[in-house]
Amino acid sequence: MGSTGETLRNLLTLAWLLPLIGFLVEIYALCWTHRLSKAPAYLAVGCIAAGFVCSFTALMTWGVQTDWVVFQSTHHDEHHEGDHHGEQHHADEHDAETAHVAEPAKTDEHHKHAEKAVASAPADALAATHADHAAEHGDGHSEEHAAKPTVFAGTFYNLGSFGPLKISLDWYIDSLTLVMFTMVTFIATCIHIFAMGYMQDELTEDYVDHEVHLANHEHFHRPGRFYRFFSFLSLFCFSMLGLVLAGNIFQVFIFWELVGVCSYLLIGFYVERKSASTAANKAFIMNRVGDFGFLIGLMIIWTSLGTFQFFDSVDAEGHTSQVGLFHLIRGTTGEMQLSADGQQVLLQNEVGELLTAGENLRSIPYWLLVTAGLGIFAGCIGKSAQFPLQTWLPDAMEGPTPVSALVHSATMVAAGVYLAGRFYPVFTPEVLLVIAYIGCITLFLAATIAVVATDIKKVLAYSTISQLGYMMLGIGVGGWGAGLFHLVTHAFFKSLLFLCSGSVIAGCHHEQDMRKMGGLWKKMPITAATMLVGVIAIAGLAIPGSQAVLGETFAFSGFHSKDAIVATALAYTKLNAVHGLLFLAPLVTAGITAFYMFRLWFMTFAGAPQDEHVYDHAHENPAVMTGPLLVLSLLAATCAIGGESGPLYKLLALSEAVPAGASTAPSSPVTIVLPTHGQVHAVHATAGKFALLAAGLGTLVAYLLYCRKALNPAEIGRQFSGVYGFLVDKWRFDELYDFLFVKPAHSVGRWCQGFDKVVLDGVLHGASSLVMLVSTWDRWFDERMIDGLVNLVGQVTGQAGRSLRVVQTGHLRQYVMWIAVGVVVLFAALFTALPK
Amino acid sequence: MTLEALLFYLFAAIACGSALAVVLTDNVVRMAFWLVMSLGAVASLFFLLEADFLGATQLLIYVGGTVVLLVFGVMLTATGPYVQIKTTPAEMFLGAGVGGLLLLVLASTVMGINWENDVAHALGAESEAALAADTTVDQSGTTGRPLGLAFVGVRPDAVGPDGAATRPGYLLPFEIVSVHLLVVLIGAAYLARAKRRVEPATDLLS
Amino acid sequence: MDTVGLNSYLLVAAMLFVCGVVCMAVKRNGIGILMGVELVLNGANLNLVAFARYTVLGLDGQVMALFVIVLAAAEAAIALAIALNFYNNHLTIDVDRGSELQG
Repeated sequence: MGSTGETLRNLLTLAWLLPLIGFLVEIYALCWTHRLSKAPAYLAVGCIAAGFVCSFTALMTWGVQTDWVVFQSTHHDEHHEGDHHGEQHHADEHDAETAHVAEPAKTDEHHKHAEKAVASAPADALAATHADHAAEHGDGHSEEHAAKPTVFAGTFYNLGSFGPLKISLDWYIDSLTLVMFTMVTFIATCIHIFAMGYMQDELTEDYVDHEVHLANHEHFHRPGRFYRFFSFLSLFCFSMLGLVLAGNIFQVFIFWELVGVCSYLLIGFYVERKSASTAANKAFIMNRVGDFGFLIGLMIIWTSLGTFQFFDSVDAEGHTSQVGLFHLIRGTTGEMQLSADGQQVLLQNEVGELLTAGENLRSIPYWLLVTAGLGIFAGCIGKSAQFPLQTWLPDAMEGPTPVSALVHSATMVAAGVYLAGRFYPVFTPEVLLVIAYIGCITLFLAATIAVVATDIKKVLAYSTISQLGYMMLGIGVGGWGAGLFHLVTHAFFKSLLFLCSGSVIAGCHHEQDMRKMGGLWKKMPITAATMLVGVIAIAGLAIPGSQAVLGETFAFSGFHSKDAIVATALAYTKLNAVHGLLFLAPLVTAGITAFYMFRLWFMTFAGAPQDEHVYDHAHENPAVMTGPLLVLSLLAATCAIGGESGPLYKLLALSEAVPAGASTAPSSPVTIVLPTHGQVHAVHATAGKFALLAAGLGTLVAYLLYCRKALNPAEIGRQFSGVYGFLVDKWRFDELYDFLFVKPAHSVGRWCQGFDKVVLDGVLHGASSLVMLVSTWDRWFDERMIDGLVNLVGQVTGQAGRSLRVVQTGHLRQYVMWIAVGVVVLFAALFTALPK
Repeated sequence: MTLEALLFYLFAAIACGSALAVVLTDNVVRMAFWLVMSLGAVASLFFLLEADFLGATQLLIYVGGTVVLLVFGVMLTATGPYVQIKTTPAEMFLGAGVGGLLLLVLASTVMGINWENDVAHALGAESEAALAADTTVDQSGTTGRPLGLAFVGVRPDAVGPDGAATRPGYLLPFEIVSVHLLVVLIGAAYLARAKRRVEPATDLLS
Repeated sequence: MDTVGLNSYLLVAAMLFVCGVVCMAVKRNGIGILMGVELVLNGANLNLVAFARYTVLGLDGQVMALFVIVLAAAEAAIALAIALNFYNNHLTIDVDRGSELQG
């Protein structure tokens, strides 16, 4: 057996490429089969399911390799109060393991690719850097997650070298990659299977699109696009997996754009609908805005750091030929090394020494690093629909519901959060503050809009934005693990919720308005039950006091991850009192989230039917659609079991490259102290209580308003019509952008048009008139003078010829006579002209 | 007046008179007769000019060949026993006038040149000596052999002091003329071969 | 006039030449025109031989005259063939009937 890294690489590469193969076969081969064939769906499902098997095998391989370290840890509180001896022992274990992992990779001489298992420095070095923060708490918590992130990385293929910069196809595998792979492939498999049922009506030669009204008042007819849908889905999965596997930021960018293209294709799947094509364009253009920042970040990284790779590349002799981005910035300790004046970030090599260029230390200006971080994060803002660019995501509901599920859980929007997490070591605390505030604004804003939304999918869309805001907030306040933890749990329950909504929509014959539903749990019990699981998960409800009984809080996944974020935010605001909003907003929003999610469920499933027609025709869907719901609801409930001591969080935390607690540069205008894990744990219980209280309150209000009908929600809406209208109009962001960008662009366009029409056209018309004038005169000259001259010559010649032709009599004797006469005349002329 | 001068005047008169008669006669057959007379007289003049081979050739080819050919032509194209296509007096008069003028031009040119000096001067001093030498050589009755040799490229009559020929031979022109004659005779045979006589074209006869 | 010199021969040749030209000019009979040509050639031949006799040309003049005779024979043959063709086409030998070359 080769090294673990090689095994993991092979497995994940297989999982990554299978959907591509599926895509190619579906696009190039299966389109020749007739449109009624289900073969594309089977192929796509097979590919992605095989990918899941590979990913899961890789995860298991990892677990075996690390001796299931994620399950070894005992309960959270034991660590909290644990003795130093145990901690130290634990850290030693880590050392041994990493060395074990690193060994085969280095000795594998005939290994094709450069591969390296990177082990970070011993934990005590890390602890020393945190002494100032950790000392006051007096425990060894900084060591608990001072994990040595075990990373396997290497290069598939070198695309080219541009000076010092190498562009290559790399792979980078740590526990985050593995979790993402497993999560993405699993959810995608469920969604694929669900889509086989949902897209059933595309299996026809004559699909009638009821949303498209033609000029002759008929509906639009077209052939079904079953195979196209599944080929796009496969490409989407391939892009997302490639993004996760990518080992350098440039490769991430490539797949980033591929993901964007796929979302464009799928959102605009019903391309004949004006709203769908507009939504696809909007998604694509909004993402371009963010990607502009991404490109700027890329350029800064290229020029200042000279590498795109995350990891250190190793040459044939085993020496490090190029230090990767993370080590350049953070070294081995996770601390940035600043120059004396704090204006420069000194670059470090793979063993933590400062890099030199000749006499001077290699460095990058601090502000430039901030700019690069902000640029990359701008890309994440676009992709994850964060605050300024959030408007595309609700419109993206125009795509088929399985696409929405995929976009909202595992692929598109997850990519932004994933990148923010992956690129975390390069972000300075200032950037993290921006991330935190962006997330904070987004989560509150989206949640408020979701409260008044009536379209079942729109509610879920805004809840997605809100939850993404939570993730960004978590990452921004230093809770790297918390943010990504929420990403994974959210992926499960949000895909579940979307598939449930898809099931409802399919069951109600494409009715999406919640006001026309109600009482549906009798008609579709499986959907109702599974959706309730999802709703509880996202609302973050738990059973208070269960901790005492069960040893840990009994709750669904959303509680644990949201709890982790809120706790981090609380610890953060305790350290940085100015940024108190960063705790209050998520807390309040937790209540709002619970409110609108239960509102959705009550409006849809509980109460009396609002629309008899819809109710009468509603039906439960076949097993191909409910099956994925059941599987997903199981995972949505249990995937985060154990909370922050559970396997999922610990697995993710293994990859945390930068320890919590890094502070800003002394010269920075803002001083930020990130909380350590210990500080977070200290406030965890408090935060959990607050969050649970908020969620419970939100649930209660929803129950009263929409189930017991204690108050008429419509009446409240009328009384607060100003706020209500503002929220219904989505905070008028579309109008704002219309006013800020579209209108000015239009006026500039009009002005340009005016300029074009008056000035440029005037110049052109003047020039053309002049040319006309000149050419008229030229024509006159040409016709009269030139042609006249030529005609004159011709006429004279013709005349001469006509007059001379009488000489040509054809009589032989005359010619002879002429010769004689000519001789005589010639002689006479000669003798008269030249007398001797 | 020497015998040579007498003979010259006699044959010159015959030649010129017969030529005039050719012009003035309308009957083709008679014209042929006068032509024979004129050509014979010219052959006699060749003998007087010490060109014996040439004179013989003239008699053989012209009188014996060409004129016979012409007579055959007359016979083949004759539409009646005595072919007479009259010339109008005006044309006769015009031809006479032009001919007289041409004769005047030629005669005045011939008479206007002093051949003894001018030509010698034009040919150069060296040629003058050669001319003097040539005129002294009696060549009567001996031109056949030099001509034949000249045609095969040897010039015994023009040998310089060093024994090399001063003038070129005529082998190549001779060969060319031979081939030319052959080609012409074949072509003539082709042109004159018996063809189906076309019906009289009305537009040409009308 | 007591001695017969070059000039005398040249005058006779000129007379023959002019007679030939006038013959060509006035005869409507094609055969007559051929005869005129023969006369012209004879005049030229007489010139050549006279020059051969009285100038440095010598034998070269006679060679030229021989060539002329040969060419005249060839010309006679071909001209006669043309005359026959003309006669075949026009049923007469009157050259005034043939005016196809009229411009």
